[in-house]
Amino acid sequence: MKKTMTGVLATVLVCSSVLAGCGKAEEKKTAGTGVSATSTPEVVTLTAQTAGIEKTRVDNLVQASLKLNEELKSQGKNIEVKVETKSFDGSWPDYVKQFMLASQSNKAPDIYAIGHEYVGMLADGNYIMPLDSLKQSKAYSDLFPVLWESVTYKGKIWAAPQDTEARPVFYNKGILKKLGWSDQQINDLPEKVKKGEFTLDDMTQLAQEAKTKGAAEFGIVHRPVDGPDFQALAYNFGAKLYDPADNKLVLDKKAVAKQIQYYYDLAQKKLIPDSLTTMEWKNVHQTVVNEKNLFYFGGVWNVNNWVSDAFHDQLGKVDVKWVNEHMGMMLIPAAEKGGKPVTLSHPFVYTVSAQTKQSELVTRLLELVADPKLQTEHNVKTYHLPITKGGADDATFKADITLGKVAYMSEYTTFLPNHEGFSKYSSAVFKAIQAVELGKQTPDAAMKDLEAQLKNDLGDQLKIVQ
Amino acid sequence: MEKSNRMTMILRRWGLPSVMLGPFVLLISIFFFLPVVLITILAFTNMDSAMRWNYNGLSNFKKMLSDPHIFEIINNTVIYVFFTLLINVFLGLALALLTTYFIKKETVGLAVRTIWMLPRISPPVVYVLIWLWFFDPSEYGVLNSLRSLFDLPPGKFLAENPMTAVILANGLIGASYGMIIFSSAIKSIPGDLFMAARVDGASHRSIIADLIIPAVRWPLMFVTLWQIMSLLTSYEYILLLTKGGPLFETEVLALYSYHTAFQNFEYGYGSAVALVLVLVALLFSFIFWKVFGMSKMIKASRIE
Repeated sequence: MKKTMTGVLATVLVCSSVLAGCGKAEEKKTAGTGVSATSTPEVVTLTAQTAGIEKTRVDNLVQASLKLNEELKSQGKNIEVKVETKSFDGSWPDYVKQFMLASQSNKAPDIYAIGHEYVGMLADGNYIMPLDSLKQSKAYSDLFPVLWESVTYKGKIWAAPQDTEARPVFYNKGILKKLGWSDQQINDLPEKVKKGEFTLDDMTQLAQEAKTKGAAEFGIVHRPVDGPDFQALAYNFGAKLYDPADNKLVLDKKAVAKQIQYYYDLAQKKLIPDSLTTMEWKNVHQTVVNEKNLFYFGGVWNVNNWVSDAFHDQLGKVDVKWVNEHMGMMLIPAAEKGGKPVTLSHPFVYTVSAQTKQSELVTRLLELVADPKLQTEHNVKTYHLPITKGGADDATFKADITLGKVAYMSEYTTFLPNHEGFSKYSSAVFKAIQAVELGKQTPDAAMKDLEAQLKNDLGDQLKIVQ
Repeated sequence: MEKSNRMTMILRRWGLPSVMLGPFVLLISIFFFLPVVLITILAFTNMDSAMRWNYNGLSNFKKMLSDPHIFEIINNTVIYVFFTLLINVFLGLALALLTTYFIKKETVGLAVRTIWMLPRISPPVVYVLIWLWFFDPSEYGVLNSLRSLFDLPPGKFLAENPMTAVILANGLIGASYGMIIFSSAIKSIPGDLFMAARVDGASHRSIIADLIIPAVRWPLMFVTLWQIMSLLTSYEYILLLTKGGPLFETEVLALYSYHTAFQNFEYGYGSAVALVLVLVALLFSFIFWKVFGMSKMIKASRIE
């Protein structure tokens, strides 16, 4: 009996001392940066995390760390910075959840790359630290000024912009040819959209023509899941989604009703595939690449998707030249004749964990990563747009045939609000769009439900504009 | 001196039981009891993505009542639990009868049961992937390939009948649990009872109705209650198959709790929804215990 008890106690003791040992080892790893007198430099490890296929977002930080180490050496500091990179596979909410839980257990990465619209949520939860000093930094002095808006929340800067993109409407040149358009007309379309001569209604009508004449199976395709693109249409109809003065999300009833009506009409006219919102991404890409569809609300990085995966029935993976020969890119046409067309950008940003013990080194690293050469490396590889003028003037970037065609779109861009509750707003609007597209609700009923849902989900974080 | 004597007495009395039961008590309190306590506390807070908890009274429950979709979700939960349970219990019973009573050869019965158990030992993701492939809306899906044999156009079964798909997928995998319990219960019926019945010229029907069913009454009750509880709180197959959609058509309370907590980061509200589930499960346990006399059933078998 006594033996058993002793055994149990001994096991508990051994286990707890092992656990305590682990804790100490952890502490040692992250301890101090004090310059040591020995000749071997003290290694400071910074962790950086991103998600998705664009690994250059963190690889660029590794490149920047080499430069930082040179600088540190020339300043006579005996520190060597090492950047450890991690990448996450999964949905955005899961990615954010992982960061929050990592922060709760003191294991957050020092640098965390994420879409800008999460800045509000992360700032409210004290997960990230403000980076106001970056605004004065020389490295970011030629940042496109609108991009500061995307990282500003409650009057503070919370992140360093990493890249931006264009979300153009892709149009299929082959189908337009079948409708009797000349090469000249096809290539002039983006310009006509830019001037407001070709409107959203014209786009719908053209899609209808393509369908009735049998030139295309579908007129228009949009993303099958919730995402920022849908809000571009709200902006196009004049919506305001956020009121920074009150820090409240806005339900602009008139504009959102038009937004929902737009998708309802597309479904009623049978321009979109049946139950598009339940389709797999793969099928959407296949529809677009195989000349079955005229207009596609996409993103410039889709070129990367089509080049990397086999979506074409005969060719498999297509190349960039093929994409540019078969597809054109234009802004989302203005809702009214002569109006301003829109697009939406969803800048990716580097946030810094509030728990980092190396805020100074991290800030210096973020300054170095804004280097135009590094930006171009990422932009050209993953089809994104630069954040600074220096990046836009880079020769390699300018030479890229795809990106060169959309660089001007930054002037017409809009952003999602940085509000904590935005993901709820976005998913409620998506559900409303889904309901009218699937024919489960009329636009009026969907609008009523949307209002009730948002009032319930957001409470006093919502402002309703009639 | 006396004190140490008493200590030895206590140690002798409780030492072995505590060593034997300690780990399980610990396990149950940490993984079963503590979560319920935490959920109860969180349900009355407004904990969100910032992970700060502030007491906010009943506002989570008020919010639940004014949620425009809550009644649809409750309705879905009732339909889902009822029909899945029906398949779980009756298919489980049918399989048990087939593999123990009708198939006399033990090896064959065992083989059939093993095959039926396979989905249970495969990861849910793999199991659901097979269903997704089965229902795939393109012409390559299994169901649509079958339809094309009869010159039918490809259908979108998962988009048009999502609840049926969810119930089928859950019902078929859940039946294996009842099957195992019922098989062992049927096997524990003494063989001479069957022989006596046969000598008396009883038909299959009356052997099943008058001998087997009464003998497996307690397992039937147990499996029903157990499956109600697990169906109320399980959502992983729905999450993988339809994500609760399209719209809210397959959203059940457990999945809604998951979505509010881990997609909208409203941990407080999600806990309130989960607390309702805990209460419903307790209510069912109580009803079974009292009304259906389950307490009487947990006694030695009356057959022997």
